[in-house]
Amino acid sequence: MDYLSSNKILIVDLETGQISEDELDDELVSQKIGGVGITTSLYETYQDRDPIILGAGLLTGTLFPGSALGVISAKSPRTGHVTHSPFTLKAGMEFKYTGFDYVVIVGKSKKPVFLWLHDGVADIQDASEFWGTDVWNTTDSIRKSMGDDLIQTLVIGPAGERGSDLAQICVNYWASGDCWGFGKVFGEKNLKAVALRGMGLLEISDPEDFVDQCFEVFETIKGGAFAGKSGVEDILTAMGEKDAKEWIAPFVHRHSACYNTPYPTNTFIYLNENPKTLTEPTEQEPGFLINDVGALLTLKRAGLSAESACRVLKACAKYGIDPSAVAELSARSGQKDPDKIEQSFVDLKGTVSAPEGGKFSSWAPMQPLFADFDLSDESAYGDWWVRRQALAYLFGIHPIFANMAPELSEELMIEMFNKGTGLDLSQETLDQAIADVCL
Amino acid sequence: MFVSNAPLSGLPAQLRGTGQTAGVGFRNSEMNFYHSYASINQKLVSGVSLHYGEGEASILPSDPRLLRIPRIGVYAGSGTSHSWLWFVELFDRMLFHDLVFLTEDMVKEGVLQDLDVFVMSGGDTVRIAEGLGRQGAGELESFIRGGGLYLGSCAGAYLPLKSSKQYLDRFNFVDIKIANVSKTRPEAKRLESKAITTYGCNYVYHPVREDVRLWITGREPFTSVESLRAPLYGGPSMVTVRDSDVLAYYQGFTEKTLFLVDESLAEKTLVGKVAAARTAMGDGHLYLFGPHFEHPRFPTANHLVATAIFWDMKRETINRKSSDGEIILEGTAKKKLILDIKREISNARIVSVGLEAIPVKWIIGCKTYEPEKIRVFLEAMWKRINRLERSRRICLQSGTGEQVVAHACQVRQILREMKSRIDDHLDTQDLAVDLFNALRRLTMLFLQFYFNSFAYNLELDS
Repeated sequence: MDYLSSNKILIVDLETGQISEDELDDELVSQKIGGVGITTSLYETYQDRDPIILGAGLLTGTLFPGSALGVISAKSPRTGHVTHSPFTLKAGMEFKYTGFDYVVIVGKSKKPVFLWLHDGVADIQDASEFWGTDVWNTTDSIRKSMGDDLIQTLVIGPAGERGSDLAQICVNYWASGDCWGFGKVFGEKNLKAVALRGMGLLEISDPEDFVDQCFEVFETIKGGAFAGKSGVEDILTAMGEKDAKEWIAPFVHRHSACYNTPYPTNTFIYLNENPKTLTEPTEQEPGFLINDVGALLTLKRAGLSAESACRVLKACAKYGIDPSAVAELSARSGQKDPDKIEQSFVDLKGTVSAPEGGKFSSWAPMQPLFADFDLSDESAYGDWWVRRQALAYLFGIHPIFANMAPELSEELMIEMFNKGTGLDLSQETLDQAIADVCL
Repeated sequence: MFVSNAPLSGLPAQLRGTGQTAGVGFRNSEMNFYHSYASINQKLVSGVSLHYGEGEASILPSDPRLLRIPRIGVYAGSGTSHSWLWFVELFDRMLFHDLVFLTEDMVKEGVLQDLDVFVMSGGDTVRIAEGLGRQGAGELESFIRGGGLYLGSCAGAYLPLKSSKQYLDRFNFVDIKIANVSKTRPEAKRLESKAITTYGCNYVYHPVREDVRLWITGREPFTSVESLRAPLYGGPSMVTVRDSDVLAYYQGFTEKTLFLVDESLAEKTLVGKVAAARTAMGDGHLYLFGPHFEHPRFPTANHLVATAIFWDMKRETINRKSSDGEIILEGTAKKKLILDIKREISNARIVSVGLEAIPVKWIIGCKTYEPEKIRVFLEAMWKRINRLERSRRICLQSGTGEQVVAHACQVRQILREMKSRIDDHLDTQDLAVDLFNALRRLTMLFLQFYFNSFAYNLELDS
């Protein structure tokens, strides 16, 4: 595969330490497109070895609006089925530029390791000194030891090491869309983290047209339904939580967007310092980045104060545990004290709800945001959401942003595929690719 | 910015006009320079006989001699900065492949006698002279008198000029004087550390940086170009005894010229002074370039460097030493070596990119080094790794592969230590000295085996 690709599938056997590479076949891309289309296909190929597959969408890391998504596919310890989890911020983009399109990780390492992917080189490195440390310290240690603050990490904390079904793979210091317990899968493989950095290039089949179209789409989209809105609080408001903005306002420091995503889906709050400060923080850990809308909403509805809710989310991220699951279980138990909720992490168990459709993460709200997408009523949300998420996970579009930008139509995606790859994608093939990943 | 279009009295007519210039962007005709020389070198490898000025070699002035492949030494020893890599880029683009990278010790050991051409680019002239010492000076003089060609650019141009300064006084090869020297310290308008350096009891000052306009006198072998642009980064303006030595004069400035001293002083110091000279010594020649004619953004100037090489390279065929100890790697062994090198250079490159966001610099000798210079070395290797990955075989001296990996590891370790110390607000001067030495050594070793492999595969293909 010459375009929008490094043309490399990496296979890492943690048991033997062997690393090998396959080429990414044009035919596979023509049929499966990218992202979950290909991670699913690779899962089927390696399913006897309990693989965990990392991948990027076809458009991830390009100038196409919202192209921030990376994907993790594996069998969920929570459902027993193959499911997909998104990773965003800058990690999806960074993954795309590591020189590998897809990474298949099989086997279990004898000792704790982390996988270092950089510029088309994959190294399995000793992680013994990080084992037992929380998500934040692990990311700091990896960045310090490798000498680069821009390294992106997919990392587990104590929850994953201890085999909790609720363990989450976090991104750098923050939560991710992993609501499937993939942190436990990392832990079972003795895989503490995957560190990503790449300074590669992507070739585009029709670069001028492709880039022009990206800018055109961006110009159209930025005046769309989400114009003037930002952060998790406006998403909560769009979901019907009318007082959300007022509730969290005293703690909001800034909003931040994932790579090339026109809507800033993340809200940074200050808990240990005045959020209105305009200078560099004096505290080492002044605050926290909220990127899990569902978890925040559940904690709010359970009656926690904004500060308490944010403290719970911060503790979840450090421990590497799914904040949505923690929020749901805490709400069920009636516990509102953030310290007590944090203390419960070690033994926390329980069944939590999985999204309808069962393949894609409920991290993306199961409804349109700001725009109406011409849906007749709420009964149509379920099917719409599954198809919309499938489209996002195939092409590498931020899954929350996909729900607020109807301009990112299937026709447009097909057009970008054709301009970017020089291959010929039809609506029929796209329908089939979506059907394959939704099965 | 100051663009000089004003009539300048007392100068040759050619020095008054703006003239047709080259150097901003690459036109097709400029890219053709690279193709032309690459074609010449490819034909020569294939054993085709070529005459100067005919057929493939029509880009060169006519001469009844037969062309042959030049064996070129590139000095990368102590005192050099990063600009020798510009010569490497030029040679790579033009398929000059018979290259030897030299340290001061290799010069002292007599390696020059196996060469046709020796190039010396920028850096700290005094440190270069000190490194080469009396023995190196003797070897260099013997090389040139024996018919060898010396190409000196910037510091390499200062080196053989008349000087009474310690270390430099061993290299008084030519009767050409430095014009940008003053008994009083000129006032620097900006970049003081780059604008003025002490020179014994005097001061050498560098009036401008970046692009300047040059007028070509038309003397052989520079007969194909009338004027051009080239960048000046501290190189000399010169005064010759004989007009016949002059290849190019400084003609004026451009919209990109950055003035480090008062504009009138810059004009007085440069315009009408010699920018490039060719002079004989014994059976050999020296070409001295104030501006960097070898800079990769200036194809027309690059063309003149290549012309000089073919025109004045040693006329007698040298007896090449046999390539004992060379090994050929292919298959898994080749793949593993390249991956080991790639791993370390990638790791080093990742740290160095991060350092570029940090306001730090180091002064080593009389030169200022910024983090950006680290990556000039690393990128020179990085961009060539793909070619080594793709080639079926690589050719290197026994033990060189292990040395390259070991040096790359050292560079990566120093860089990570440097980043860690900077994060902790600690001094990194000692590490910077070690780093640039290690980088220079690594890049030399890497490029030597790159060009050896390149030459081997070129010969194999033909």
